[in-house]
Amino acid sequence: MADLPGDFWSGWIIVLTLVSFCVIAWLIWSVYFSPTPHPEEEHENEPVWDNNLREGNAPAPMWWFWFVLGATVFSVGYLMLYPGLGSFSGTLNWSQDARVRNSHSNYENQFAAARAEIVDAALTDLQSDPGMMATAERIFQRECSACHGKSATGQISLFPNLLDSEWQWGGSPEQIEQTLRGGRQANMLAWQGTIEPAAIEQVAEYVLQMHEGSDNSHPGQTTYTTYCVACHGADGSGNIMLGAPALNDNIWLYGNELNDVLESITNGRQGMMPAFDQRLDDAQIRLLVAWLTRSQN
Amino acid sequence: MSGMSLHKKLEEHSGLLIFGILAVSAVGGLVQILPILFQESLETPVGATAPYSAVALTGRDIYIREGCSVCHTQQIRPLIAEVERYGPYSRSGEFVYDRPFLWGSKRTGPDLHRIGGKYSDIWHREHLLNPRSVVPDSIMPGYPWLAETPAADVGDIQKKMRVLQSLGHPYSDASIEEAESELEGLTEMDALIVYLQQLGTAMPQGELP
Ligand code: HEC
Ligand code: HEC
Ligand code: HEC
Repeated sequence: MADLPGDFWSGWIIVLTLVSFCVIAWLIWSVYFSPTPHPEEEHENEPVWDNNLREGNAPAPMWWFWFVLGATVFSVGYLMLYPGLGSFSGTLNWSQDARVRNSHSNYENQFAAARAEIVDAALTDLQSDPGMMATAERIFQRECSACHGKSATGQISLFPNLLDSEWQWGGSPEQIEQTLRGGRQANMLAWQGTIEPAAIEQVAEYVLQMHEGSDNSHPGQTTYTTYCVACHGADGSGNIMLGAPALNDNIWLYGNELNDVLESITNGRQGMMPAFDQRLDDAQIRLLVAWLTRSQN
Repeated sequence: MSGMSLHKKLEEHSGLLIFGILAVSAVGGLVQILPILFQESLETPVGATAPYSAVALTGRDIYIREGCSVCHTQQIRPLIAEVERYGPYSRSGEFVYDRPFLWGSKRTGPDLHRIGGKYSDIWHREHLLNPRSVVPDSIMPGYPWLAETPAADVGDIQKKMRVLQSLGHPYSDASIEEAESELEGLTEMDALIVYLQQLGTAMPQGELP
């Protein structure tokens, strides 16, 4: 309650709370302790039920007294220790925010040593430790499987397979770490408008057969050389600086049918891998890199 | 004998009794609720909290219409488990432009308060079309029709913004004028995704906790 609108409202709360305590004290006093020597007399003119039952002839039960006393003692203690009485923050100085912060930093400290060890460990050591790999897989399931699939083999021709040999953005541990930390935004513009539909079809067919060895007589090759080599390379081996995938292997992110490739070329593709440097800590990223490169060794 | 005679007076004068009942039952509200109505931190936007754009506002209305808040909360509680899973806990100043707020009360699916930026637009599209295409054991229903209805059909965007403006949301007249043209060509799905992608992004991400 540290950010009350001002002294007035703080005073308002304190006064009303104290007045309430006084009213409760008065009520208790008047029910249990007020000098009422002849309760019978006072209620003389009032009706009597069942021969002897009338107002004031049965005292209030004592458990009720102890209950109210207990509750009052509890609330006075509470208001002394915890925030509640206007802007008085309580002698314990407790706050919800500080509590989360504390448990967060305890949590950080508890695992700091283990994390530092993971960050400094050699990838091969992490990879040969089944416990570490199980942890890494759990992190992957939680953070990455919604896109890359539970077994990291990609999904619905939009999210790439991470277990195959093709790495759009590079497959070295450093490059993968870069991908995870900063995310990646691929950009291939739409070619419709620039290239005639017929030529797009030809170049799509050319691209689809590139992995079988370049066919120099293919009619799509001229279009390819004119427009595509800058990013995908003359031999179709791609460019990891641009995230341009290799086209000379038979691995297709967006599908291996003619229609899929036509769609990629005609309308372009903007694959986006989100950045994880804020969501994951260094140890988690290290574990993921180790897990993703485990089959390379 | 004051106790008993006051008791008698209260019992015999119903006007006095009604006043007494009202006074006693008002105390809780006067202490707990009234001061909060004047508490500035509840009215002050935190971080980059800003009024919803015309598109996000439309997305928000679709979120309400489709009952997303039946299964999703938008409220990260200040508990370590939630902060670790979802990110910084929700601050009251993040909801100043929410009328009504969509905190929700049941988590059949995960909390969505910091969903903004977690996934790409493409993922949200596929997930809303058919959640099982990307999360095989999801029990969330698909919303494929959203991709076919134009966002402008939700209707009355300018009126809505004007009402919010009269409630103190700082919309400029120009932004209200442009509202309809901003929705042009967008589907309800697009608007909903714009809304989802800005959820919870006003607080600096990664700052603790
Ligand atoms: C919102 C969906 C999404 C999530 C979540 C996601 N990714 Fe990705 N990721 C992608 C997309 C899309 C690409 C391809 C980007 C492109 O087209 O260049 C990608 C690319 C990658 C690549 C580069 C592949 C290559 O061939 O170079 C790696 C490595 C990767 N992701 C790992 C991860 C890991 C590890 C996680 C979890 C921490 C993760 N991703 C979470 C969507 C996602
Ligand atoms: C500016 C660089 C650039 C140029 C020029 C370019 N591309 Fe691309 N291309 C990319 C990038 C980057 C991607 C990856 C897109 C993604 O991951 O979303 C891509 C993806 C593709 C794909 C999809 C591959 C898959 O695995 O599904 C095909 C097919 C393709 N390009 C063909 C072509 C053709 C044919 C041309 C020439 C007409 C061309 N590209 C010109 C950068 C380029
Ligand atoms: C019947 C309950 C239900 C309804 C209604 C529902 N969802 Fe979900 N939602 C879920 C469940 C369960 C999950 C977790 C599985 C998954 O990712 O699909 C989920 C996951 C999500 C996620 C991914 C969250 C994350 O952090 O991975 C988003 C985004 C989402 N829902 C948005 C919506 C939107 C928008 C609507 C309204 C159009 C909606 N949901 C309606 C149950 C529901």
